[in-house]
Amino acid sequence: MADSTMSRGTSAGRPASQGLFTRQSSGLVRELGIPAATGIALASVAVVNTFINFYGGLLNFSQVDMVLPLLLGAAIWFVAMFAYRYLLQAIPRAGGEYIYLSRIIHPAIGTMVGIACAVGFSYTLAANANFAANYVPLALNSLGLAFNSSALTSAAGNITSTTQCIQVTCAPGLVIFAVAFLVIVGLGSIFSLRRIAQVILGLVIFQVLAFVILGFLFATHSHQDFVNALGSFSGKGSAYQDVINLAHKDNIALGVSLGASIFVVPFMVLNYNGVLYSYYVGGELKRPGSTYIWASLISIALLIVVWVGVWLLMVNTIGLDFMQAQAQVGTNDAANYGAITSLQANAGGLGYGLVLSGDPITKIFIGLAVPAAELAVDLAFVAVVTRVIFALAFDRILPIGLAKISERSQSPINAVLVAVAIGIVFTIGGSILNIAAISANLALFFALVLLSGSVAAIFLPFRRPDLIKNPATNDVDRVGGIPTAAIWGVISTLGALFTVGVIISKPNVFGAFSYVSVGSLIVIFFSGPIIYFIVRQRRLQSSSIDMGLAMRELPPE
Amino acid sequence: MANKKRALRVYFATDIHGSDRCFRKFLAAAKVYEADALVLGGDIAGKGLVPIRSHNGSLSARVRGELVTVRVAEGERLRAEINRIGFYSVIAGEDEFERMEDDAAYLSQAFTAAIAEQVEGWCRLAEERLDSKVRCIITPGNDDPLAIDPVLKAAPRIECPERELMEIGPVLLASCGDVTPTPWNTEREFSEDALAERLSAILDPAPKGAKVVANFHNPPYGSGLDFAAELDETLLPVIRGGRPSIIPVGSKAVREVIKKYQPVVGLHGHIHESKGAQRISKTMCFNPGSEYSSDVLRGVLIDFDGAGDYLDFLFTAG
Repeated sequence: MADSTMSRGTSAGRPASQGLFTRQSSGLVRELGIPAATGIALASVAVVNTFINFYGGLLNFSQVDMVLPLLLGAAIWFVAMFAYRYLLQAIPRAGGEYIYLSRIIHPAIGTMVGIACAVGFSYTLAANANFAANYVPLALNSLGLAFNSSALTSAAGNITSTTQCIQVTCAPGLVIFAVAFLVIVGLGSIFSLRRIAQVILGLVIFQVLAFVILGFLFATHSHQDFVNALGSFSGKGSAYQDVINLAHKDNIALGVSLGASIFVVPFMVLNYNGVLYSYYVGGELKRPGSTYIWASLISIALLIVVWVGVWLLMVNTIGLDFMQAQAQVGTNDAANYGAITSLQANAGGLGYGLVLSGDPITKIFIGLAVPAAELAVDLAFVAVVTRVIFALAFDRILPIGLAKISERSQSPINAVLVAVAIGIVFTIGGSILNIAAISANLALFFALVLLSGSVAAIFLPFRRPDLIKNPATNDVDRVGGIPTAAIWGVISTLGALFTVGVIISKPNVFGAFSYVSVGSLIVIFFSGPIIYFIVRQRRLQSSSIDMGLAMRELPPE
Repeated sequence: MANKKRALRVYFATDIHGSDRCFRKFLAAAKVYEADALVLGGDIAGKGLVPIRSHNGSLSARVRGELVTVRVAEGERLRAEINRIGFYSVIAGEDEFERMEDDAAYLSQAFTAAIAEQVEGWCRLAEERLDSKVRCIITPGNDDPLAIDPVLKAAPRIECPERELMEIGPVLLASCGDVTPTPWNTEREFSEDALAERLSAILDPAPKGAKVVANFHNPPYGSGLDFAAELDETLLPVIRGGRPSIIPVGSKAVREVIKKYQPVVGLHGHIHESKGAQRISKTMCFNPGSEYSSDVLRGVLIDFDGAGDYLDFLFTAG
């Protein structure tokens, strides 16, 4: 069919149908398709970090099996995905919950969650950088084994050498690595999000390949192979049984309990945290509604397959009793565990893979999987947090300079600098000061963010039906007379409330409540409304335009 | 500082390129943003006409260079998608479709008719939806064919003061959709010298001391409101250092005229990707940018006091 399109010259560029350059829109540019959005979603999750959460669940609860928690965790995000779809379709912007809540409920409520996200996600940048630094020894050891390099293995020892910092004992080598890591992330983040997303996608593929290799290792080795390999690795043929015996001696219950598996669900909810995060870059998604839903669906499905698959293979090859025993005695009875084996208890599946792997390629993949994951997650989180900062600045809650978009890269360049700088401050502060209490309730923070988005979905059809009206019926979509968006919002809210409830009921596992930790949470959340009212009041004193006007969404009809 | 009292609030948007949804939002902006006057500053027409071929119970069209075929029942969705990217569509039978392929003049005529039909529809919509107290001013830009001027001028609810001075409350609005030459040879392009003359001819009659708002589609050169990718002779972006070269593409004539006449405010568009606010001498210049292809209406609210002095602005994205 010939191209008979009639077009006139345009200042926005020649029509794309002729294959020529089309100029961009103002501000953030919609150029992310499904692969890029999927990359951002999967990177935000940090695919290999599941082993940390597996370890956390096995350590904190006896008789846990992860299949049910993995599926329930996925179900909660699956429901939330539909609730957020309505929000993104109604308000296809960058900024996530801040944008939704400020436009649907009240600007002060939106600012509350927006500022909390800006701070909480910046802290997460630092936490991920520290996490990557802490896995450098494992990476160097793996690479040392792969390349038969004693220099690499001794570097692993050197980098962990510690000294007394201001309040805590710290490893300067790891701190320097973490800061350098964030600087690299910052430099990478000044490029266009489309380019960054391509890098992220590459890193995610690397992680998935590591999982496939791990899965292959577990599938091609018998249980006895692992028992023998652990014996060799530990220099003690009975190491496997010794670990289980130690657990029995320590009165640790092994096996499966449904109750324990339910309590561990929040670990798995947090495991999937980030799987929907492409909505934060909603202002840069092509066809936001469909791109978001496909990216989220693909991500959830892939994670279920990879995580449940690897877990089942581990149960088959490693043995559930051993994994439960190792997680608990490896941490709670470290001296006796260390006498049996040097296998790092919290490395989980990666550690098992290292024990079973015989070839250098596998060791390289295992060694680099965590750094790759953390690099990807930090690149994705910079994208996320800078879009929240951008949205706050665009609405004048934060200085307008933070909403500046680079003409070359279409990225919010000043927001990137600020986010990375805050991340570095958190990294250094966390290394030399004891701020563990401040961040103790991070799990609760993430659950509350999910809760806030779910509540916004409930309010959407009642507060702003004009934004989601179906033109054919001139009404919002309904099931049994109830707006569909509200139904998804309610179900998602219930899932979020369940998660919040379990987190609060198990402070010894998910973060102890102290004056400092709760106070930090209160400061993070309630500084938002205070900032909003101060900024608004100051503006009203000097200006004739209420900044709240910028937070009103125009109805499409 | 005490809260200054506003006498006039203008909502300015531009470059919606045929987007029905953005125009509806534009009309809604009066109520949502409590604006006294709406100003749409040009490039309201879509970019082209896409003939949709109807045959054997299906509809086929080339959208963004790709052949798309849908069932007849999905025709409205296809047309909405085409409209979203700034194009019009017309469903044509085999004969008419072939004529559009072969006869450029016929296709051009159909395109102009489609633009006029849409603008007429928008004018009716404005009549239905706008509060009687709200003034609605629409002026053309370089991408709008001259044929839409009479349509706009004839609409009872729309004011189209192209190349005229028009009073809005305490200010005089001077409007001009002409621009300096672009790579696309549109109908309202003039050399810098000719444009300077045309702009001066609009502003010269303004009484001394009058507070003027310059609604010039072309942004001033080097103002930060005019950054765009540099294009080569084949209209592809010039890459320097691995990245597109970004250069100012505004009009030096507009800049000089602003410096000479010093209107209180300059309203500009034309360059979608160069949203911003910039002061030139005493004039506060704005380009709200455009994101019409995402159904997002970018705009700017500007308040004036009773003397016509500029008070404050707020960018919006709705």
